[in-house]
Amino acid sequence: MGKSALITGITGQDGSYLAELLLEKGYLVHGLVRRSSSFSTGRIDHLYKDIHENPGLLLHYGDLTDGQALSNLVLNLEPDEIYNLGAQSHVRVSFDQPVYTLMTDGVGALNVLEAARILNQKKPVRVYQASSSEMYGAVLETPQKESTPFNPQSPYACAKVYAFFQTVNYRRSYDLFACNGILFNHESPRRGETFVTRKITRAATRIKLGLQKKLFLGNLDAKRDWGYAKDYVEAMWLMLQHNQPDDFVIATGNTYSIREFLQMVFSKLELDWQKFVEIDPRYFRPAEVELLLGDPSKAKNSLGWTSKTSLDQLASIMVEHDLELAKREQHNQSFQQ
Amino acid sequence: MRAVITGITGQDGSYLTDLLLAKGYEVHGIVRRSSNLQRPRLDQQVHDHSIYGKRLFLHYSDLTDTTSLRRILNRIVPDEFYHLAGQSHVGLSFEIPESTCELTAMGTLRILEILRDVSPSPRFLHASSREIFGTPVYAPQNEDTPLNPNSPYGAAKAFANQLVKIYRDSLGLFGCNAICYNHESPRRAENFVTRKISIAAASIKLGLQKELVLGSIDSTRDWGCAPEFVEAMWLMLQQPTPKDYILATGKTHSVREFLELAFQHVGLNWQEYYRHDPRFQRPVEPENLRGDASRAMVELGWKPKISLAQLAAMMVDHDLHRLKHSMRQE
Repeated sequence: MGKSALITGITGQDGSYLAELLLEKGYLVHGLVRRSSSFSTGRIDHLYKDIHENPGLLLHYGDLTDGQALSNLVLNLEPDEIYNLGAQSHVRVSFDQPVYTLMTDGVGALNVLEAARILNQKKPVRVYQASSSEMYGAVLETPQKESTPFNPQSPYACAKVYAFFQTVNYRRSYDLFACNGILFNHESPRRGETFVTRKITRAATRIKLGLQKKLFLGNLDAKRDWGYAKDYVEAMWLMLQHNQPDDFVIATGNTYSIREFLQMVFSKLELDWQKFVEIDPRYFRPAEVELLLGDPSKAKNSLGWTSKTSLDQLASIMVEHDLELAKREQHNQSFQQ
Repeated sequence: MRAVITGITGQDGSYLTDLLLAKGYEVHGIVRRSSNLQRPRLDQQVHDHSIYGKRLFLHYSDLTDTTSLRRILNRIVPDEFYHLAGQSHVGLSFEIPESTCELTAMGTLRILEILRDVSPSPRFLHASSREIFGTPVYAPQNEDTPLNPNSPYGAAKAFANQLVKIYRDSLGLFGCNAICYNHESPRRAENFVTRKISIAAASIKLGLQKELVLGSIDSTRDWGCAPEFVEAMWLMLQQPTPKDYILATGKTHSVREFLELAFQHVGLNWQEYYRHDPRFQRPVEPENLRGDASRAMVELGWKPKISLAQLAAMMVDHDLHRLKHSMRQE
């Protein structure tokens, strides 16, 4: 029998790519989804449609803050691997909703670990915890590696640090195969539209087609190490196939400013970004993380993983996708008129 | 006038938003953060630049997150507060009882506690549910019918319903329960039975679907039309004294009848496409649910006008239009 996995956050960017990867590898994939009266499965609908030919994907209602329902589910499904990708993942929003962010990203991760701990007494289970480069915050050294101390700068990052240490703690105390993937920014056409890279590619392509006039942004000087989400989910899987549980930085090793990304995207569309971008102070974070640059050497040496897609290639992938969306929108407008 | 709506992205919230905007209100909606920016029911209003950011505002929060709710309310100081949010799927409440109670019962209590400290305190409407009667002691039910819930959702709503009463009687809150019987519309979520049927009728008509799988089709419901229900909610907060009101049509129909109406509308015989699957059956089916809305009719001058046949036609037409449009795109 093939392996099975439970993915929290399966409706998100990483969850949807990971589900694709695991289905290709022949896994039975279970996903945890929050109940909502508005359907939230846009990123995995293409996987779900084939349910009759490919009954490899099953969705279950739940919530990371509902520990009992989660434990019941894990004990019922007995997955070989659990990927905890569910979270309130927006850093700026975490300043408005600090308590909710900690409950979901911190206590939620603990609920997953607790469920795994119980299952692990019956049957071995491996856990992946989605940690984040935001934990380095006001960075104490550059580039950041596994030994770099955390210095979080947002409620989101504080919650992720809590989850990180609990994961290490469960590994040491209960002999649980639990890994932290410290992922630097990773983008894709499936990135949420409130995140800066996607906001830029959506706006640039809509501007190109005359659907939008201006793009409002916050700090253009922040520098990030941006990779392609599709490459990064491969690293998650590799961590759980490794001979021992460990923590890994997953990054490209290159850093670019938001300004440089803007330049890259707009020039692909033969536009001058300076004519369209305006600064809106509302988008500034109360405390900014200025420079993130990861050192992925450990992942390369131990897992044989490297980032395959350059930022320029990634920008092309996103622009191409969003241009298609914008064209469809244009078509819809003419249909409605 | 300024109103806050929880559950603004849902069926009732979106119709209430339309209504209040038409009446000149400034509307503030509370939304959960999700990486899927899907608010199809609000799309039209949100994309209208003369409305969004000027008379309609969305704020991120969650019914479990007291501090952010309090901060938002202190900033807005609303005249009216419509609490429509909750884990509203009865069948699912058996799978996720804890989070259902956390959101539906505790979520309501948290809001009541915050409103206690807001000055001046807004008029408050709680979207209660006929599920509080569960297996009712008698039919039709009115505002004095004893509560007898038979699902985790019903129990959570009963708790919330009673707390609103307590805050009204003991603490002087202008709080009302709108005890709503089923109310449907083209904006009903796709996993509720009426919408499942209207989508199936339209899809089968267009050759996109072959059969329709349902649980018990003998169960009966008192089905109204959502836009009419939100009108009554608004009326409740315009009265001189706060009270609870039953909102219902007073007529019951079976799922079978709805099936027949929906399929008839597109000239199909439902029996050729229907398949029974006991998995869709609830652990306990509510029975004998029929609401007596006399108080709302007399005191609010409210009267549901849309028949079930009209409602079914409206829903099927909407789904036909939507599906044809997406077929044309492909």
